[in-house]
Amino acid sequence: MQAVKEYQRIAVFGGVYNNALALETTLEDARQRGVEAIFCLGDMGGFGPHPDRVFPLLKAARVLAIQGNYDESLALGKGDCGCGYTDPRDNFFARVSYEYTSQRMSADNKAWLGKLPKQRRIRLGRMQVLMCHGSPRTINEFLWESSTPNDLVQKFLRDCGTDVILCTHTGIKWHRRLAEGRHLVNVGVIGRPANDGRPNVWYTILTAGNDLQVEFVPVQYDHERLALEMEQEGLPAEFVETIRTGWWTTCMEILPAKERARGKY
Amino acid sequence: MMRTPVAPFSYLSTLWVQVTGTWCNLQCLHCINASGPKNPWLKRLDAETVKRAIREAAGFGVKEIYFTGGEPFLHDDILELLAFALRVAPTTVLTNGTGIHATVANALASLARQTPYSLEIRVSVDDIDPERNDRIRGKGAWAKAVKAIQLLHARGLLPILTATEILQESAPEEGGLYQRFRDFLLSLGIDKPRVKIMPIFHIGRMAGEEGPLLTEEMLQGFDFSLLQCSETRVVADGGIYSCPILVGLKDARLSEERLEDSFTPCRLYHSACATCYQTGMTCKNS
Repeated sequence: MQAVKEYQRIAVFGGVYNNALALETTLEDARQRGVEAIFCLGDMGGFGPHPDRVFPLLKAARVLAIQGNYDESLALGKGDCGCGYTDPRDNFFARVSYEYTSQRMSADNKAWLGKLPKQRRIRLGRMQVLMCHGSPRTINEFLWESSTPNDLVQKFLRDCGTDVILCTHTGIKWHRRLAEGRHLVNVGVIGRPANDGRPNVWYTILTAGNDLQVEFVPVQYDHERLALEMEQEGLPAEFVETIRTGWWTTCMEILPAKERARGKY
Repeated sequence: MMRTPVAPFSYLSTLWVQVTGTWCNLQCLHCINASGPKNPWLKRLDAETVKRAIREAAGFGVKEIYFTGGEPFLHDDILELLAFALRVAPTTVLTNGTGIHATVANALASLARQTPYSLEIRVSVDDIDPERNDRIRGKGAWAKAVKAIQLLHARGLLPILTATEILQESAPEEGGLYQRFRDFLLSLGIDKPRVKIMPIFHIGRMAGEEGPLLTEEMLQGFDFSLLQCSETRVVADGGIYSCPILVGLKDARLSEERLEDSFTPCRLYHSACATCYQTGMTCKNS
């Protein structure tokens, strides 16, 4: 069995969604907080403008990434993002976004995405950590805070033989701490805001200790500049509104009742 | 001879509870299990049977629980059972809305506040026009369902209007049925409109000539995780069944009692299976 690397303090972020501006600010913020390594749980493309701009940043910072459904779809040349939406409105906007990214991302970058592992395992101090995109069993499974039962978290931890699971995919961060110091953390995304009325995005710092310390870090980045770029690229006004206001306007029919109730729309 | 394909079972993600069997106060023309007020052919479940199934499902890490019927709000213990389910997992209840008056809506809002998991309420309406709807669902059904939606929404419960495509031909507007219902909800002041459209299944009251059936050859290379019967089981009168469409049918029964005994492949023998396959639908919210 491959040896698992041990860390004490790491930064982890979720979907980048072409948001090179937020990515740059996040990487600088994480560096200043003295992390040993930076991980990305997948979905480099979608939503934002200029897909190729994120890759030099990821490579220069030696970000250790895994593959999200978006990355898998682009690498395999699939016809859609594989997000797992079933609502017509969600799928309409998902298609717009995927076509934009797919047409503009270079073949080299798509090939790079194709080589990413689906999961990673590390240790944080004495704790075993499994990193996945959606869930440990399915790349595009949505684990929302209000739709993930404790019994299911226990099953995931048990089946995977791990103490901590890190995931993303939903776009909204949350942390569940179970007994005996076991955790599931959805690290959120840096590609679009968390549907909380604020334009900042979020990433996560995890520090080993007697128990795992989980810190959600807000990232203020030049969202107005991103909004202008998106407008210049002809991306939907609904996407731009989200960047400016922090409220989701699309790909939200998938939200469970509690998460939907907290948003504006 | 073409062979009947079989869907493998992967893991239990969704438990459906047919809590009132086929007992319903309405008698909709397109009901998939021919529910109605008289002589329901599938009986209601007692509370202990429901709780036992939910406890068993929890042990397998069930992700969602759905209550259906018939009409779940006819069951005396429905609020207690919803509360029990919500201690385990996010829970959805499907209803025609006729039994949801202010007191019930208040009780549901209270349940939702007390649990970290989402409570979802699906209310069935088939047309934005009351007369056209009631021709399918019965006189007065539309007014009560729309009232239920408004009561629930006013309490922050965000109901999901669920419609079938039974009146599809009458929705020629751009965007079709989905947009029509969305616009209708917005016109009522429902600022977070949630709509689910279901295809018509030729089963129950719509059973007619047998439609096309699936074959093994058709499903070569198919991703079975797209079929809900790969991760769903239904507890109902008579045992555990493979999916909510086929509930009650003997060829869809996989266990007489224990949930775990139903974790076996199921035969995709019915024309409803072909509808599921062709449309990519799920009975779940998403």
